Amino acid sequence: MSPPQQPTTINPNSLKIRLAYRFLHSLNNLNSKRSNLDDNQIHQQTSHRIKISAYSSMAYVTGSRRAWSRAILKKIRNRGVLRPRINHRLHARFTRKRNSNYPNPKREYLDPFGNSGQEVKLRKLVPGAETLDACDLLDETADYVKSLATLVEVMKNLVDLYSTI
Amino acid sequence: MNQGFRPAFFNENDDHQQLQTMFTSGLVHETPGLNMIVKPDPGMEDSWAGFDQFGYGFMNQNSVLKMTNSSVSPKKRKADKGHTLQVVSEKEKKTKGCSERDSKIIKPRNSNNNNNSNNSKASTNASSKDKSKASEVQKPDYIHVRARRGQATDSHSLAERVRREKISERMRFLQDLVPGCNKITGKAGMLDEIINYVQSLQKQVEFLSMKLATVNPEIDFNIDNIFMNEMFESPTSEFPANACSSANSAYFDQLSSWDQSISYRGLDMGINSAEMGLIRRTVSSPVSISETFMDSSCYNQIQPTAVWDADLQNLYKMEFEQGTLIPFQSHQFSGSNEASNLKMET
Repeated sequence: MSPPQQPTTINPNSLKIRLAYRFLHSLNNLNSKRSNLDDNQIHQQTSHRIKISAYSSMAYVTGSRRAWSRAILKKIRNRGVLRPRINHRLHARFTRKRNSNYPNPKREYLDPFGNSGQEVKLRKLVPGAETLDACDLLDETADYVKSLATLVEVMKNLVDLYSTI
Repeated sequence: MNQGFRPAFFNENDDHQQLQTMFTSGLVHETPGLNMIVKPDPGMEDSWAGFDQFGYGFMNQNSVLKMTNSSVSPKKRKADKGHTLQVVSEKEKKTKGCSERDSKIIKPRNSNNNNNSNNSKASTNASSKDKSKASEVQKPDYIHVRARRGQATDSHSLAERVRREKISERMRFLQDLVPGCNKITGKAGMLDEIINYVQSLQKQVEFLSMKLATVNPEIDFNIDNIFMNEMFESPTSEFPANACSSANSAYFDQLSSWDQSISYRGLDMGINSAEMGLIRRTVSSPVSISETFMDSSCYNQIQPTAVWDADLQNLYKMEFEQGTLIPFQSHQFSGSNEASNLKMET
């Protein structure tokens, strides 16, 4: 895989810069958290956390204008916050409400590519793309791929940096 | 004389225009009347003078038509002029009496031949443009969906076609994004490639995060301070800095580059400076300098070994404790940190 082309112009608001900043920020937070905790944490857990922070920073940078970033942010938020105990009745009502708000199931049956297996696969890969139609799916995929490539680039640079020092 | 001939010829029979547009799409029709006028005829060169007069007659008749026809585009006129000019020149040659040239003269007028001579092309383009222009004028806010021959024209299939075009456009966009996707034709293959690429990227993220966890960056540089006001729009300043030979200079360079949000080579920069040691680098770009970044404590933290000139430090402190963003231009922070020429501009 070849990394995407490096921007020749210097843009302070470029995706890469913001992503790097955000990611470093979250890494720093992670570090400080870990220093508070014991050192007997498993390596896997750490890497998992780093991964999550990477994704979350990617989503954060993209903001809420994309479906995939919204999905990631929502997932992380729901995961991160400990759920308070709620009244069962309230809870039931809440879930029912959400179910009624569930988007039109008809839209899932669109089959633009002839073979829907690939499309289903793609929907699984791109977060939050389960309920989009084909055009939006492709749009989201393009954006997702772009920022994912940027993230990979940033992470690679970081790994290089840390391994040289 | 000839100026009027061509437009007259065009405007006189609109059928001819339509024919020409049809010819461009490859349909060959023949109308007897047209052939009579334009068909290259060996006998014509003998009666060329008569033909010319015929042309003049056309002109005289149809100049009125031309005047009345207000929708003649300037482009068309231009093309016509070029055409007539060529005709004139050809005619001059024709006086020498050459039959090939004669056919050449006729050719531009004769669209039956499907020839690619510039004149006929230009004129047909002009005429078709005229037509499209007219339609645009009629319906300015209207998404033009055109059904080709044999395609269905009911609204559903038109909408479907628009949607498919949209999808293929997106696919093209994706094709540019995903490397190695250019060679593959067909949506299925491209989708496969895209899926593979996304998967590989996700795996890479996982792998890299594992690696980051192993590398374990225990160095806590103070990102908060440095990136405090990271996205300021600020005046440009030149910051040519000699990389210090100490290992920490890598950090300094990297961080400063981040802070300037320059990232020419973004994160690579630290590595470069670590490797190259004393290579002077010039960075000229919009710089945002936050107060906290220029705090001397920050300097101390970043660059413990580098000994900065006390005066310089004080200067910085003094300036930045005012809380103003100062564009500064400093020349040559040498390796021994002598602030030889330090220019401050406010």
